[in-house]
Amino acid sequence: MHDVSQEFFGGVFNDKIEGGRAAAKISIHPQGLVAETLEEQRFEIPFGECQLDKGGASGRMIFCRNNDRSITLFCEERGFPKALESLSLGAFSGQLRAIQQKQRGHEKTFWFWLTVGSVMTLIAGVIGYYALIATTQAAVAALPISIDENIGSVAIKSVELHARLDAGHVATKLVNDIVKELEPHSAIKGLNFRIMVVDEPTVNAFALPGGQIVVYTGLIKNAKSAEQLAGVIAHEMAHATLRHGLKGVGQSLGIIAAIQLVTGDVGGLLALSTQLAQESILTSYSRKSETEADLEGARMLHEAGIDPKNMADFFQMLEKLEGDIPDLLAWISTHPQHADRIARIENYQKQLPQKPYRLLELPWEEVQNQLAN
Amino acid sequence: MEVTIRNAPSFANLLVNLYPGDRIVAEADAMASMSSGIEMTTRWNGGVFRAIARRIFGGESIFVNEFKSTKSGHIVITQPFPGDMACLELKGNTMFLQPGAYIASEPQVTLGLGWAGIRSFISGEGLFRMKVSGYGRVWFGAYGAIFTREVEGEYIVDTGHLVAYEPTIGIRVGMAGGIFSSFFGGEGLITRVNGQGKIYMQSRSFEGLAAWTNAHL
Repeated sequence: MHDVSQEFFGGVFNDKIEGGRAAAKISIHPQGLVAETLEEQRFEIPFGECQLDKGGASGRMIFCRNNDRSITLFCEERGFPKALESLSLGAFSGQLRAIQQKQRGHEKTFWFWLTVGSVMTLIAGVIGYYALIATTQAAVAALPISIDENIGSVAIKSVELHARLDAGHVATKLVNDIVKELEPHSAIKGLNFRIMVVDEPTVNAFALPGGQIVVYTGLIKNAKSAEQLAGVIAHEMAHATLRHGLKGVGQSLGIIAAIQLVTGDVGGLLALSTQLAQESILTSYSRKSETEADLEGARMLHEAGIDPKNMADFFQMLEKLEGDIPDLLAWISTHPQHADRIARIENYQKQLPQKPYRLLELPWEEVQNQLAN
Repeated sequence: MEVTIRNAPSFANLLVNLYPGDRIVAEADAMASMSSGIEMTTRWNGGVFRAIARRIFGGESIFVNEFKSTKSGHIVITQPFPGDMACLELKGNTMFLQPGAYIASEPQVTLGLGWAGIRSFISGEGLFRMKVSGYGRVWFGAYGAIFTREVEGEYIVDTGHLVAYEPTIGIRVGMAGGIFSSFFGGEGLITRVNGQGKIYMQSRSFEGLAAWTNAHL
């Protein structure tokens, strides 16, 4: 008899064993399954009584129980199901097939729910993100403008303005005059615009919340006309009037707060907020904000009687200069593609009612000469 | 070698009395105190790569310490969190331990790392599990008290409470109730344990502690 049996390593559950279970040698005989423990206890299940099941931690373990379930043999070895099928002369074919089908069903259900779960999480995330942005924007709109001014005056302290030109300088006066032309047409009233002109070759200008605007002489020198300069200044003023700084901070804080709410770590929120506020104000506005500022700037120019095309022209000029002046990168890196911006401004202009535009009567030549010396 | 679990269940620790020639393997940094005559050797937790894998995926130390005594002495072995400890006696069988549960074992016990699968990962039980097999005693610890159950059929355990189980036990993830009650009732996902065999559970979970602490920060 023994020559046709096959042995495997497994185990057995039975009340007669101390502790209820033991590792065992399982052999398949022509009549049935036999388990022998190390203590030489022997358990037998005839094929006719054998109920098969599959499972265990690996999902591959085969269980074999007798009719009253008093004996359970188990084996995880890979060759076991095959040997069982062949040595039992097909007695288990039906049972093994049913087990396999059941397992495949489980697999399918699992992967189905895993996919559903992942997709739902993703959708909830996207909806949550946009809801959050909408909420913070609304919340910021409700805050008094004095908050913008406070943030701006804190932020300006971390900007290095060594070579600041005094208020009496022609360049400062020029920029101030341009602001005065545009101010009556800004989206919100009562914002106190303060201009700082810095004598540095950088082709850059930026606005801080609350209406502080920093313009570098490099930008004034590279502009082809006072109207082009007005285009850039209108853009920067729009950042302040549309309150992009505060919205940016609000959004970032909102996102962090939401993440912390989900992950449960609330402690870090306060520590992060201060650092984040400074960073997000000073580094850059989002591309969406830039586009908004372009269009709002164009609107202000139009209302003030200045051709918004000047703004587009300035971007065109930048595009041509780009290769020559590395300093330009400072402004460009945070701003959308020129071609897109120009197209957007031109499109917007088409929607505006036609009106005669004027030229600014400002001492442009004098300023250029002064700066050249 | 005589081992007693003392100060259970809250602050359980192992008092190991070693006779000349006895050896015990313990998780790195688990020794709290010992007699002066005991030699300690540190070795990789089963080969370099396995040790690193065990560290990354099994939450166990890269190194294990083997304590050996040439004369009689004792050693006290502890775990980093408050809770009970239990002893398993392996006689050629295998047990799975959750990451971080292993504390000490006799030298003839083989420590291994087994793939636990995505189901186990989703239910918060980890992608890998510690596999102990061979002959001899293994001591493992839990956060809170340890309670056991002989499962036959299906049993439900909240995620994070399962500490050890036999290979005859299968694990599936499930929701505690419907979608709504699962996520708003605070139970979320649960572990469906099925098959036949013994499971060891802990009365507290680390996630529970973390959530409770967070709420009071």
